[in-house]
Amino acid sequence: MALTGRAVLAAALGVLVVGLLLPSLIGLAVVEGALLLGILADLLLAAGVRGLTFDRSGDTAVRLGEPAEVTLTVTNPGTRPLRGRLRDAWPPSTGTATQRHELSIPAGERRRLTITMTPTRRGDRNAHRVTVRSVGPLGLAARQGSHHVPWRVRVLPGFPSRRLLPSKLERLRELDGRSALLTRGAGTEFDTLREYVPGDDAKSIDWRASARNQGVVVRTWRPERDRHILVVLDTGRTSAGRIGDIPRLDAAMDATLLLTAVANHAGDRVDLLAYDRRVRAEVRRAPRNGILPAFVQAMATLEPELVEPDARTLTAEILRRTPRRSLVVLITGLEREAVQEGILPVLPQLAARHEVIVAAVADPAITTMAARRGDATAVYEAAAAERELAERRATAAELRRKNVTVVDAPPGELASALTDTYLALKLAGRL
Amino acid sequence: MSDTALGPTTEQVWRRMRAPLALFALVLIVVSALVLIRGDRHEGRLDPRSTHPQGSKALAQLLRARGVEVHPVRSAAEAARAIRPDSTLVVPFPNLLADAQLRTLAAAGPARTVLVRPGEAALAILAPGVHTAPDAGRRTLQPRCALPAATRAGDADTGGVRFDTDLLPDATGCYLYAGRPTLVLTPPRASHDTVVLGSAGPLVNDRLDDNGNAALALNLLGAHPHLVWYLPGADELPPADDSLWDLLPAGWRWGAAQLAVAAVLLALWRARRLGPVVTEPLPVVVRAAETVEGRARLYRRARARDTAAELLRAAAREQLARVLGADPSEAALIASITARTDHTTAHVHALLYGANPESDEALVTLSDELDALIRQVRTT
Repeated sequence: MALTGRAVLAAALGVLVVGLLLPSLIGLAVVEGALLLGILADLLLAAGVRGLTFDRSGDTAVRLGEPAEVTLTVTNPGTRPLRGRLRDAWPPSTGTATQRHELSIPAGERRRLTITMTPTRRGDRNAHRVTVRSVGPLGLAARQGSHHVPWRVRVLPGFPSRRLLPSKLERLRELDGRSALLTRGAGTEFDTLREYVPGDDAKSIDWRASARNQGVVVRTWRPERDRHILVVLDTGRTSAGRIGDIPRLDAAMDATLLLTAVANHAGDRVDLLAYDRRVRAEVRRAPRNGILPAFVQAMATLEPELVEPDARTLTAEILRRTPRRSLVVLITGLEREAVQEGILPVLPQLAARHEVIVAAVADPAITTMAARRGDATAVYEAAAAERELAERRATAAELRRKNVTVVDAPPGELASALTDTYLALKLAGRL
Repeated sequence: MSDTALGPTTEQVWRRMRAPLALFALVLIVVSALVLIRGDRHEGRLDPRSTHPQGSKALAQLLRARGVEVHPVRSAAEAARAIRPDSTLVVPFPNLLADAQLRTLAAAGPARTVLVRPGEAALAILAPGVHTAPDAGRRTLQPRCALPAATRAGDADTGGVRFDTDLLPDATGCYLYAGRPTLVLTPPRASHDTVVLGSAGPLVNDRLDDNGNAALALNLLGAHPHLVWYLPGADELPPADDSLWDLLPAGWRWGAAQLAVAAVLLALWRARRLGPVVTEPLPVVVRAAETVEGRARLYRRARARDTAAELLRAAAREQLARVLGADPSEAALIASITARTDHTTAHVHALLYGANPESDEALVTLSDELDALIRQVRTT
């Protein structure tokens, strides 16, 4: 049960009755008795809460940063009209603006409530419970009860680099020779023969075909298709670090999604593996037209784990998933100790069989710190930042010596930089 | 009935509440039984019905056994009604009574009035002429007077308040301590006398069998066949001054009670939540730059000017080599810098490879000069 403000108001007005009309114990008893009777009557006559039935519908998935709508239908099967309040409780990170609703349902009818939420974090969000307060006819007291009405909204990675997709696909078309610019020729896979135009590389002239024809004929090449790419997300402790207010892991996901979208268009096959000390998520052989949803679903519930990643077992997992030569994109940290004791010893094993890209999310705050001047505090900060930057550069150089391509970019640029690197490798025929 | 409901049903509530309710009822029954069984045992001090060590039931029983009718009363008016010309009036707490009540008692006209540890106010009305003197402390004293009631009883625990009877030469003072009596019998006036006791010792259950306490008490209180024992009641007690509360009209007081009820309802209304607070596991929040900031603070605390200067110089050298496309070796770098700028070799060498700064100010200056050099090389 619950009392209402009206009961308090009635008790307050009772002060006048007791004070002016009946200043005695009897007066007090009369007012309290009347109040109690009213409250009991309200409790008895309020519509039942226990018998209500609920039904949900609406969005089950939403991209991070976008609003979702869930509809709650409340049916009052009783014989008395229901009047009161309803709270549809969701976890705070769903960003549900209005959890409380005024409710008025005549007997035997139903009402629909819409809950709008803008989640602030990735992952699954479950509805907590629905609490209804049914006020009696006098408005002095109310019955209250809760119902468990399950519903889950999966908050998917935001993919803010989506806006870069058209320009990257445009570049891909240029490579592919399908663009109006006709910059064909790159790649290693034989495409077509066409007549020689001044400016073509003399090395690409097909002499045998030229002999059969009147003019000189050149061979054209196109980038390879059906290559295998394995994106490995490191979900270990370094992925938990926040840049701005976004964990490194989320920036890594954004880059993964852009790369996957472009590679999928380019006709390559992309798989996903999220790993720290065990496999957290994976996508294998997703259908071409459903690859992004598959990636997004797999990544939605990934959270950084506060453990040191195990590079040895990670290598084993990678090798198990890549029977033929592949492009392995390892999105991890470039912290010196983590790299030297983690992936560095096992990289030769990978680089011998595969093309390897190590991508890392850089922190622009450190670059800003390195430029700080003015007083001693600022200069010490600059020195510490320079040390971090120098270590990063040294680590990257060490990795490059192992025949690994390194992409180190701040969160806003990583997706673009990684995709450009992929396109460059494709152009160079290194896949 | 829907199966999504979370709260307990009425039956479940009853089942859950049954045991506590039974326990509560049991406690209530036991307490009531104990109260009923021990009902006659009044806890009060100097109460003729109390068996408490500080009560006076034993004395009352002894008096009854000697044919004295003991009549406890709770208010001054009741006492005035009960008092007969052959009554003894015992006032165990004269200091709790207001002047008006004392006057009512004085006007009632008992044959004898017994006051226990009275203060000046009570003495002024019931035993004029007697005054209090410094306390003798709790002790047993000898009668040393001509009062038969005292001499027959012998030593008694009358040690307590002493009295000054200089203004009343006819009064009999007994049980003297340092020249002042602790028991005073005022001379009879219109067949009315007053006994002033400095201590309640001779009257209480605990000490009745010590020394001559019982005999003294019986002699003093049993002189007349009727005894009125005036123990002020709780509702009569705070008469000292009319408080602000008493001056308020009844309507205000009862209105305040109703206001308190309203306040309780207000608390209940606001305290009831519409469902519980929803919790969720929070993510780890670690800023990626945290270790770098920590290292900067360590440098500063350790005044690691040498390390800081070397780091800044190394960064500057690397940047200069990149800009100039020069060989990063010392000689080549300095040579290409002096070729592009008007700095001397010594100056550039001191800047890029020189001694460590002596103070924080020198470190700041060094960082600014390195920046200036890089800017200069870039623009030329």
